Amino acid sequence: MIQPEERIRAAQAAVIVSNLILGAGILTLPRSALENTHTPDAWIAVLLAGALALLGGCGIALLSRRYPGQTVYEFAGRIVGRAPGFVLSVLIVAYFLATAAFQVRSMSEVSSFFLLEGTPTWVITAIFLWVGLYLTVGGIGPIARLFEIILPATVAFLALLSVLSLRIFEPDRIRPVLGEGIAPVLRGLKATSLAYSGSEIMLILTAYMRSPKQAVKAVAAGILVPIAIYVPIVFIAVGALSVEGTLSRTWPTIDLIRSFEIGGLIFERFESLLLITWILQIFSSFTIAYYAASLGVSRLLGGRSARLCLYALLPVVYLLIRAPRNIRDVFGFGDVIGECYIWMFGALPWALLILSVCKEKWNAKGQPSS
Amino acid sequence: MKADSWSGDFDLDIGRFREQTAIHSDLRLRELELGGAPLRAALLFVEGLSDKEFIDRHLIRMLMKGRFEPPVTAEYVKNRILSVGALTERLSASGWLAKTLSGHTALLIEGIPEIFLIDTVHAGKRAPQEPESEGLVRGPRIGFNESLSDNTAMLRMSGENESLVISKRTVGRRVKRELAVAYMSDIVDPELLREVHRRLDRIDLDDLPESGYVEQLIEDNRLSPFQQAQNTERPDRVVAALLEGRVALLLDGTPFALIVPVTLSMLLQSPEDYYERWLPVSFIRILRFVSVAVSMLLPSIYIAFISFNPGLIPTKLAVTIIETRTGVPFPAYIEAVFMEIAIEVLREAGLRLPKPIGPAMGIVGGLIIGEAAVQAGFISPILVIVVAATAITSFTIPSYSAGITFRYLRFFAMLAAALFGLFGVVMFLLLIGSHLVKLKSFGVPYLSPAVPYRLSDWKDLLVRLPTAAMKKRPRILNPKDPTRGG
Repeated sequence: MIQPEERIRAAQAAVIVSNLILGAGILTLPRSALENTHTPDAWIAVLLAGALALLGGCGIALLSRRYPGQTVYEFAGRIVGRAPGFVLSVLIVAYFLATAAFQVRSMSEVSSFFLLEGTPTWVITAIFLWVGLYLTVGGIGPIARLFEIILPATVAFLALLSVLSLRIFEPDRIRPVLGEGIAPVLRGLKATSLAYSGSEIMLILTAYMRSPKQAVKAVAAGILVPIAIYVPIVFIAVGALSVEGTLSRTWPTIDLIRSFEIGGLIFERFESLLLITWILQIFSSFTIAYYAASLGVSRLLGGRSARLCLYALLPVVYLLIRAPRNIRDVFGFGDVIGECYIWMFGALPWALLILSVCKEKWNAKGQPSS
Repeated sequence: MKADSWSGDFDLDIGRFREQTAIHSDLRLRELELGGAPLRAALLFVEGLSDKEFIDRHLIRMLMKGRFEPPVTAEYVKNRILSVGALTERLSASGWLAKTLSGHTALLIEGIPEIFLIDTVHAGKRAPQEPESEGLVRGPRIGFNESLSDNTAMLRMSGENESLVISKRTVGRRVKRELAVAYMSDIVDPELLREVHRRLDRIDLDDLPESGYVEQLIEDNRLSPFQQAQNTERPDRVVAALLEGRVALLLDGTPFALIVPVTLSMLLQSPEDYYERWLPVSFIRILRFVSVAVSMLLPSIYIAFISFNPGLIPTKLAVTIIETRTGVPFPAYIEAVFMEIAIEVLREAGLRLPKPIGPAMGIVGGLIIGEAAVQAGFISPILVIVVAATAITSFTIPSYSAGITFRYLRFFAMLAAALFGLFGVVMFLLLIGSHLVKLKSFGVPYLSPAVPYRLSDWKDLLVRLPTAAMKKRPRILNPKDPTRGG
């Protein structure tokens, strides 16, 4: 079913996972991390959440590599039975569609606020969707290759911006470390975990990997990159803007970059660079989530061409994007997706994995006697 | 008399000769008698195109002075009389005229129901010159010319080499031309070679006057703005590509050879990159990549910042730019599009003019019109800098065809910037990026070896590592023999 040229390598799978994780979160994470912790230790929560994400990601990879050449849409039914598997697949499709829509909506909010005042949001959204559609109809190979271009650019830009913003970093604001104990950190764990949603794509990607055995390695590498980006951003943002300052801002990372100027360089201000990087990241998160959703629809409809589904789903995604009325609704939408993420991909893959292993053991026992 | 074969009756055959060639007034018919045997013969050749001296010395002289012993058969003539290398016999009456008209000499002898076609083609051809489209400071000064046999000979001259295979085939339906497929038999991926031949088989056209026709007929994606075969006039470049495991196509009648598969990075490389030392070359390569970005994006970034987000550029710079723009009656995008079109027109005009006038035209257009437009207040001086920078950076692209692509993509970038500012530019880049990652040239991803990551091939991408460090051929081409040396 999968053409050999569409196979991706472990490094590409890792890049795709990183790209899906790094999305809308870059701009809002400092605030969402602080909302529940209210201490400068939010960065520890981000770090711990990364560790949790690694755990969850490993579960997903271990589960998917038991069924080489099959996506979750196919093997879910084999584990839990046909009807529950179908329901699960529908839920996963809905989740990916919602993720894709949420990313694009955040993008259009930020773009129309910072870059394109006056241009109708539907135009921004439509152009973005069309370019995304153009990429996704090429299949997983081109998607992986484009991501391989985007990720190094993102990492380089964000590293540069982090280093530059050290100028306004004040160590006093980040102290004392663990001054209020570990409890607030743990409270922030749930909110920060959401920023790491993305490893669930391995449920689909593993089927396309040349060597599915490397799935665990790929997912681990794919999560380590966002950890290395998120932790410094939160750390520096809190150190530069202070806890209260970060909490009061809608897009704290942009304000962080805006609040300093560097003389003697061509650019004194860097928020344009950050916005470009961020749009690239949103694009990658959107395309892969959308591709995963379309693939699911095509499998659910009994192997219809994924290409057709890509075209057909575009209006659906557009409606989802336009559904939230204002920025508050958008963040609410994001929270709902996060809730789903924790339920669907936090614990469920491990449960499925155990079920799958047990089933196999049971079958192996049953086989020789029959 | 059958229509499609020769009778052997001289009067009948010669009549047919005359009848079929009556409208071709540049054909010469020379009748003679064989020495020592009472047999008549006739030679037919094109005046000017066939080698007259060769015909006089080797054909007419042999036929008249030789001592023919009957019976004179085709075998006898072929084996004992005609002391020439390139000889074909034609039994049928079709096809010989085309050959004769392209410079072969047809020989008819009484009593033999065949005609002989002797290769006496001696077309006026250019001596190999330094290739004009790909100038080098250091490197061989020889370029291909319009004769296929000369060109394949130039490949052979690159050194003693058993594995260089040059296989010829004909293309074109009405005007038949020879096309040579060159490759290294022990390096090239057989699957690639099969694919090349498969695509060449599909060509079905009256005439293919230049390798650009072949290129357009065998490419993967006809709608792409990017070329999917590299054209070059340089034998050294072709040989280097063959040694990497690529395939070259040489067409008779053009000095431009095609190299497939091509990748984007190849178009930004020059053979000189390998002749000079690696450090300066790496620096120049990085400069070229920057130049491509500048030539494609600078005007659109200008438009995006000036028209949409002047707040995003440093305050001092913004103030300077806005000051110079006071009094300019047009919005930034009109100004920029207008000037970019003007410079493209100037470039095209300079190219088509006779050589002595071309540069003068450039000076008049570039300096005087630019200066006058600024003084008149139509455009801002900063835009002149922007336009000049895009023009000059676009000249650093070593491949002329690739340069055209980047030049006109610039206009789409400007359109995107004029409509949607910085967001438009990013979307434009994503669109081009999406297209490039989808594009393949003969199955090889166009952006390889950059993506998918091939760390071993990165030695020769953005920088070029020392020659001693490059012992491997590009792995993306799947060569049979992956190493160049110990």
